[in-house]
Amino acid sequence: MSAPVLSVDDLSVEFATREGTVHAVRHVGLDVHAGRTLAILGESGSGKSVTAQAIMGLLDTPPARVSSGSIVFEGTDLVGASERTRMRINGEGIAMVFQDALSALNPVYTVGDQISELLRVRRKLSRSAARARAIELMERVRIPAAARRVDDYPHQFSGGMRQRIMIALAVALNPRVLIADEPTTALDVTVQAQIMELLTELRRENGMGLVLITHDLGVVAEVADDVVVMYSGRIVERGSVEELFQRPAHPYTRGLLRSMPRPDREDDELWAIPGAPPSPLRAPGGCAFNPRCDAVVDVCRTDQPELRLIAAGRHSACHLSQEVFDGRA
Amino acid sequence: MSAPIPETTQAVAVPTAPPSRMDGLRRFVTKPTGALSLAVLLLFVLTGLFGPLFVDRPGGLGTDILQAPSASHWFGTDDLGQDVLAQVVWGTRVSLTVGAAASGLAIVIGTALGLFGAYSRRADAWITTVTDLMLSLPLLPLMIIVTAIAGPSIATLTVVIGLFSWPEVTRLIRSNGMVVVAMPYIDGARALGAGGWRIVTREVLPAVVPLVVVSVLLTAARAVISEAGLSFLGLGDPDSWSWGRIMLNAQRSGVLSTAWWQTLFPSLAILLLVLAATVAGVRFNDTRDPRLKDR
Repeated sequence: MSAPVLSVDDLSVEFATREGTVHAVRHVGLDVHAGRTLAILGESGSGKSVTAQAIMGLLDTPPARVSSGSIVFEGTDLVGASERTRMRINGEGIAMVFQDALSALNPVYTVGDQISELLRVRRKLSRSAARARAIELMERVRIPAAARRVDDYPHQFSGGMRQRIMIALAVALNPRVLIADEPTTALDVTVQAQIMELLTELRRENGMGLVLITHDLGVVAEVADDVVVMYSGRIVERGSVEELFQRPAHPYTRGLLRSMPRPDREDDELWAIPGAPPSPLRAPGGCAFNPRCDAVVDVCRTDQPELRLIAAGRHSACHLSQEVFDGRA
Repeated sequence: MSAPIPETTQAVAVPTAPPSRMDGLRRFVTKPTGALSLAVLLLFVLTGLFGPLFVDRPGGLGTDILQAPSASHWFGTDDLGQDVLAQVVWGTRVSLTVGAAASGLAIVIGTALGLFGAYSRRADAWITTVTDLMLSLPLLPLMIIVTAIAGPSIATLTVVIGLFSWPEVTRLIRSNGMVVVAMPYIDGARALGAGGWRIVTREVLPAVVPLVVVSVLLTAARAVISEAGLSFLGLGDPDSWSWGRIMLNAQRSGVLSTAWWQTLFPSLAILLLVLAATVAGVRFNDTRDPRLKDR
């Protein structure tokens, strides 16, 4: 595999709150490769969105602080980069699609204005050229009657169409990496599939690296190449999608897979991992997952497991990863 | 899959034209408060612009002194025999100019600081402190001191009133700007590489523009009062007429209690203008507020 376009190493983010410091992200490492889809899987509060915000430089500092690590994009470390560097890389190097497109688009400008302003500022296009390009982009993301709808305001579009416009904006400058933060959570299922298909298609066409942040295992299974599973701010497991789904090496991943509804099975009872994710302020000692784990042993309550290589391309942060991987625990 | 996906929410063919400027104006005047306040404001502006073309500049000594309002002198005359109507008409020009210019100055400073404070956390601490400090100062004595030191003139009045009126605007714009800055579309703009200047001017400012308009009207109303007050205290330009100066003359010549017309008409002008500006501001705010159904 070629060198990654975007490489996050040992990233830690903490928030200063009234009740103390919250370690939202701890020692996270990711590699995004051109033309591949990396899924960051995790439930609410696992730190997946904060990781994305740190990459995009969207964290409010203070209260947030990147306390360690680096985010290297094509040789430039974005941690502590100047505002100027950030402005150059955001949009052109790395772009982002947000969960809720209605609130992520400015309500007072037409969608055409928003896309063409970006092109006029960053690509120095003329007013008319930018407008023409905006219509092209809207057609590219399959907005019907784009030439007419270019003068509509965001609220005049349906949810799926708005998300398409968000995507058109994000890919307008041909970024090398596209981060999609739960891009389909606010949409209904049929539209979800269309949006995912569009993202995958754009990734293939532009050779972008796609980072998909989601809690939807189905989406991951369908479009991702590599998966990173996060729990309580840490990466607990990493691997390619087929292998990880076939043979999880962490009890949390195993629990997630088991809690997927399986209409093909006879027993129609839903299974869930017991308990709830820990508050980031009062994480349990040792492995953060130990109170909910079905394979817990004594060492889990005292020692934090390191993310270790357990097979080619597979990492897991569990004291019993080998046993879980082999199906013995 | 390459065919365009039909839009599922093809709503009923609603005319999708965005509300134009004219629609806003029409909505503004549908209520009597809107129409009336606008008419009064227009009347004052026209008087200020064209009134002096029809009425001679009051000056010199007349023969009819201290006459009550009559057909020949609608607003009566003062102790020098000058026509009070002419003074009010000429005063309109100065009062409006000072009001508008001072309010313009206050709005520019206030909006800039308010937006800056809303966007930048670091600047916000300073801006808030200075704003609170300014708001807690006794303004009238301060204005008197500064005007007295700088030397009374129309320009001094304008600058002094403008420089002391921005804190209210800053506070209003800052608090509303902070709501906008927290919107996800600001993050959206940053994710696309927009810098601070662009975000403040292109994303935050348009969202608070309606408030700026309201502020202009309310600040102008207060500026007119300040101008009249300072002129009444003798800190106005002695060479030009203003409503405050008419009343100052009445006070100086000791006819305040006998020649009621000399103070009533300029006071009435101030009252009407301030009322109209305030009502117009409130009405404008209402037409902009989608939560008010019956707008």
